[in-house]
Amino acid sequence: MTAVARSPLRLPSSLVLGAALLGLIAAAAIVGIWLTPYDPAAFAVRDRLQPPSALHPFGTDEFGRDVLSRVLAGAHLSLAAGFGAMAISLAVGVPLGLLAAFHRGVTEELIMRAVDLLISLPPVLLGLLVLAVTPPSLGKTIAAVGLVYVPILVRLTRAVALGLLQEDFVQAARARGEGAVPILWHEILPNAWPPIIVECGLRVTFAILLGSALSFLGLGPQPPASEWGLMIAEGRDFLRQAPWICLAPGLSLCVLLVTVNLVGEGLRERLDPQLSGRAHA
Amino acid sequence: MPDAAMSDVVVDGNVLRVEALSVAYPSRDGWLHAVDGVSLSIAPGTVLGLVGESGSGKSTVVLALLGLLGSSARLRAERLEFDGHDLLREAAALRGRRIGVVFQDSAATLNPALTVGTQVVEPMRVHLGTKRALAWQRGIELLAEMGIPRPAEIMRSYPHQLSGGMKQRVGIAAALASEPDLLLLDEPTTALDVTIEAQILSLLDRLRTMRLEGGRRLAMLLVSHNLGIVDRLCDSVSVLYAGRLVESGTTANVLQRPLHPYSKGLLAALPRVDRQHAGRLAPIPGRLPDLWAPDPGCNFRPRCAFASAGCEQPQRVTGDHHKVRCHRADTIVDIPWPIERATAAAQPRSAVPLVEAADLSIRFDSGGWLQRLLGESAGILAVDRVSLTIHSGEVLGLVGESGCGKSTLGRLLLRLLPALDGTLSFAAEPVRAKPDARFRRQAQVVFQNSDTSLNPRQTVGEILGRAIRWFAIANVEAEVMVEVGRLLDLVRLPRSYARRYPHQLSGGEKQRVGIARALAPRPRFVVCDEAVSALDVSVQAAVLNLLRDLRDQLGVAYLFISHDIGVIAHIADRIAVMYRGTIVEEGLADDVLRPPYHPYTELLLSSVPLIGRQRDTDPPPAARPPAAGGCKFADRCRFRLGPLCDSVPPPLQAAGPGHRIRCHIPLPQLAGQPHWLDRGETT
Amino acid sequence: MRLAAFLLRRLLGLVGVLLGMSVLIFGIIHILPGNVAYAILGEFATPAAVAQLEAKLGLNDPLPMQYWRWLSALLQGDFGTSIVMSRPAASLIAEALGRSAVLAALAFGLVAMGGIGLGLYGATHRGRLADKLLTLLQFVLIAVPEFFWAILAVLIFAAWLNLLPATGYAPLSDGVLAWGSHLLLPVLVLASGLVAHVARLTRSSTIEVLDSRYVLTARARGLGERRVLWRHALPNALLPAITVLAIDAGLLIGGIVVVETVFAYPGLGRLLVYAIERHDLPLLQVGMMVVTAIYAVANFIAELLYAVLNPRIRVAGAAA
Repeated sequence: MTAVARSPLRLPSSLVLGAALLGLIAAAAIVGIWLTPYDPAAFAVRDRLQPPSALHPFGTDEFGRDVLSRVLAGAHLSLAAGFGAMAISLAVGVPLGLLAAFHRGVTEELIMRAVDLLISLPPVLLGLLVLAVTPPSLGKTIAAVGLVYVPILVRLTRAVALGLLQEDFVQAARARGEGAVPILWHEILPNAWPPIIVECGLRVTFAILLGSALSFLGLGPQPPASEWGLMIAEGRDFLRQAPWICLAPGLSLCVLLVTVNLVGEGLRERLDPQLSGRAHA
Repeated sequence: MPDAAMSDVVVDGNVLRVEALSVAYPSRDGWLHAVDGVSLSIAPGTVLGLVGESGSGKSTVVLALLGLLGSSARLRAERLEFDGHDLLREAAALRGRRIGVVFQDSAATLNPALTVGTQVVEPMRVHLGTKRALAWQRGIELLAEMGIPRPAEIMRSYPHQLSGGMKQRVGIAAALASEPDLLLLDEPTTALDVTIEAQILSLLDRLRTMRLEGGRRLAMLLVSHNLGIVDRLCDSVSVLYAGRLVESGTTANVLQRPLHPYSKGLLAALPRVDRQHAGRLAPIPGRLPDLWAPDPGCNFRPRCAFASAGCEQPQRVTGDHHKVRCHRADTIVDIPWPIERATAAAQPRSAVPLVEAADLSIRFDSGGWLQRLLGESAGILAVDRVSLTIHSGEVLGLVGESGCGKSTLGRLLLRLLPALDGTLSFAAEPVRAKPDARFRRQAQVVFQNSDTSLNPRQTVGEILGRAIRWFAIANVEAEVMVEVGRLLDLVRLPRSYARRYPHQLSGGEKQRVGIARALAPRPRFVVCDEAVSALDVSVQAAVLNLLRDLRDQLGVAYLFISHDIGVIAHIADRIAVMYRGTIVEEGLADDVLRPPYHPYTELLLSSVPLIGRQRDTDPPPAARPPAAGGCKFADRCRFRLGPLCDSVPPPLQAAGPGHRIRCHIPLPQLAGQPHWLDRGETT
Repeated sequence: MRLAAFLLRRLLGLVGVLLGMSVLIFGIIHILPGNVAYAILGEFATPAAVAQLEAKLGLNDPLPMQYWRWLSALLQGDFGTSIVMSRPAASLIAEALGRSAVLAALAFGLVAMGGIGLGLYGATHRGRLADKLLTLLQFVLIAVPEFFWAILAVLIFAAWLNLLPATGYAPLSDGVLAWGSHLLLPVLVLASGLVAHVARLTRSSTIEVLDSRYVLTARARGLGERRVLWRHALPNALLPAITVLAIDAGLLIGGIVVVETVFAYPGLGRLLVYAIERHDLPLLQVGMMVVTAIYAVANFIAELLYAVLNPRIRVAGAAA
């Protein structure tokens, strides 16, 4: 009709703003540590529990460590937890979902029942379970959080792929005699990634949240690491005298989560309208 | 004049008066002018048809009358009156009470969470203040009036328990519950099968003559794209094009002697079962004009066969009883819309069967693998021992209602679905369950829905290029591009379209790309699965002509699947009629379209609303449970012989060379049926 | 009839999930790298002590046998004994569960009512200032971790304003005021993020229903906007809310673990964290199993509710 392509492609403002902020946070996580004059791990007993000042903008903690330096040094841990976990669930969930969609029958049944099982564990508990027996570490937190989102991605990928497999352009490819691999590569994947990316964009927020919650419970990176959830847990005992020990990493975490959420929402706005009417989970 | 508005109503007695109605919607690109200066009037007890293709603004008119356009739309009208009330101010108080409405697709318009009774009774309770028990009783009566069996039971059921036709009857009952003076019908039969459509049309026709309390008569506004339906029901017709009224007058005048080029084109583009093999259809070239910047002159000009200098001047509607909006109306009065000439002479059809199917069957299981394992699910035979042949260069039309298994049969012939039983051979060689590349190359498919048949992430060039490379028609990039150009030429699209994405194409253009993709490996056989069903009439004609030319030019054979017997009659050499998985009749097109025919073929043919012929549909026979083992059509058959039909599978009777009918009724009796065109004529 | 078949199928599914869960919980604890006995006794335990413990716990038997012993005991109501506290796990869990249930029920009620109410309000006031403010608030609520809310709440209401106790638990016998004051902050914090989640999804499902053809038809029949909303839109819009609430029951359980830890509230969540910290594996296994079972039953109830409220599942077959 006449409505065809009258508007130039426009990026949603939330995506632009979110991406810019995320870039800033990532930059701070990488170079910030060299810009502060303090070693985030260096004890300075004389300077302990200093309120925020020109020297220590976020104050110091109970060992006299500079909180700003520690927050900057911990940024990459939260980013890694969120995006690492998402990468793991993508790497595991998407292939399994595609497998289930392409191999109806026993394979699909096995995968989907396993998914049902995993999904019937509340998210934090699945993390607790994995981290309960073995000594905690960043890698394990990432793996545990990643595992939580695998079933969700399997279900989504399968639903999207099954929807696409019903589409006539896939039938046309089958009528040409194309097998599973070319159909997957040329017809399914180019159309399946947008909803998957949108889902991931929205889930990264929850992955970061879950990762920091596990750290807060002591099931993530161990001291002296400056993971923000861990910093908050450690600072709890000094909440009355030195609230900045908790507030600095907490507010940083909030800023990061809002930013990631902005990116996720922006991605959805950008990618979803084209997909309306197509398969949804 | 405006101050005499009240007396006007008395003078001309119109229940609805619309003058210069304009509606615009805000969009990112500015105001979209959906309706532009439309005037209508309806007298009590009469039916006005509002005809137009998609984008004509006909549904917007309905919403405007109801005051349901939404707050963002901009509505202007010199007059918008219902029975002396200004609808601009009082629409909310009148809709549902004195103006009833039935929308398209009753499945979506009935609330899934409420019982049928609740929804039928509600308008009476709210608008008329009827007591609950009384309203319920009246609801039962209303459903009975709508021809619904066991109305008391249906009142207590939920919409999902009803068939499509029943849902639409309920929708009409609910619209009539508050005894309105005006009924708005927005595409009331569009999603329904033709036999069900005929029943709904008979019902609406009866309502037309119905008298309301106090001697008032029900007026109707019927919005439709289907000229046959409009002719069947309407006293007068208004034709809309791109938001503007182009012609209006009595039904007989407008449809028999159209004045506006667009109306002429529309009628010439319509494939009609009563004029089979009338030659080529006359498509209307081009696409809908830009609704963001309406043309001050004639907006049909770029597509018009009669356009000349002066058409760009602002125009107005002229004429008294037969109004038309055209600068050249007077000079083209008796000139028909021109019909383009065929591009190639027909190739001789071979006598050797190209496709030969014997006893093909497929069963669809209901339930999951667990149920199958436990043997709980019997499944249904979607295709039940079907045999057919298609010769080179021949078009076999396969016609049947939704769910009869015709698309499934098409996929079985392409080995896209695994057959439970039966054999398939192609060019005298058997086709295995997993066919080789040679078969794939020679047998291709064109789908119905052009929106889902093209990969939205590939350009037209990539879509065609993939098919070309896959079949190794060409491998080097330059050669592939040459081949893409050849295919685009073949389907009459500009070569520049290779760089476009599907969403940048119109429906007809997308369908052409789908055809080009099927033709890429130079097949000998193409299954066209409802290939033109989703298109507007004017576009459909162009695609049908294209398919016919390609057959003549390339000698391709088609299995042409459609629910529209008009389209089938137009394009097919031979016709197969399918009912519940079985082919009940098969033969040359001319033989199938006249007696003797299968009772189901007769039902299909007589259900089609035709222009210029009024008829009543027979009421369907009392519902019986479908018989097991006997004739599958027995429960709906008007000519059922008795228990024989219910219990014994009907024999295949030869009615002539290549003409076979699967029926118990003796041939002479079948041959004795009146011709469907003559039956039940009332005018 | 159809509802009965549906019920039976789901009931079988529930049993299946619980069995699978028991295998998973048992399996992860016993198969993941890390010796169970060392995990309990600490890495400096003497080999003799380890051997003694392994014998006591039956850790030298084949895993399937250990699993079977554990499961059959569980089914007979024998929940085992906490190693660290040397008390029957059953009574420990029962006490903690009661306290958590109060917390969860209050928070869940708040989530259900607040979330659905705010969602409906947003959907019916689409695009207005109030809707935009609500959307912004939800955005913030979703993006702030519960434990940080908890810290802020303690800081403001306990440390600075001295209005409420920072941590701990008071039984109802101490008086309603003491009981309530200890519950108020945990409940609010627990509900904060979930209210936003439910409100958001309720808003979008309601908007979808309000834009549907049958709501348009109801309006075209001249029904008042209130009647359209309550009678025609709500029954359809609230069905998805049931599913959302079931999902949120899972998130709520996760939240309880965190919130109980911050507020030192002696519930099941804190018991689990305690069991992990002290490597009290028998207690952990049974605790996990109980929590999972509760979640599975909650989901089962949600599905049942959905089926009962949805005529398309409840009422079968073709009438005409």
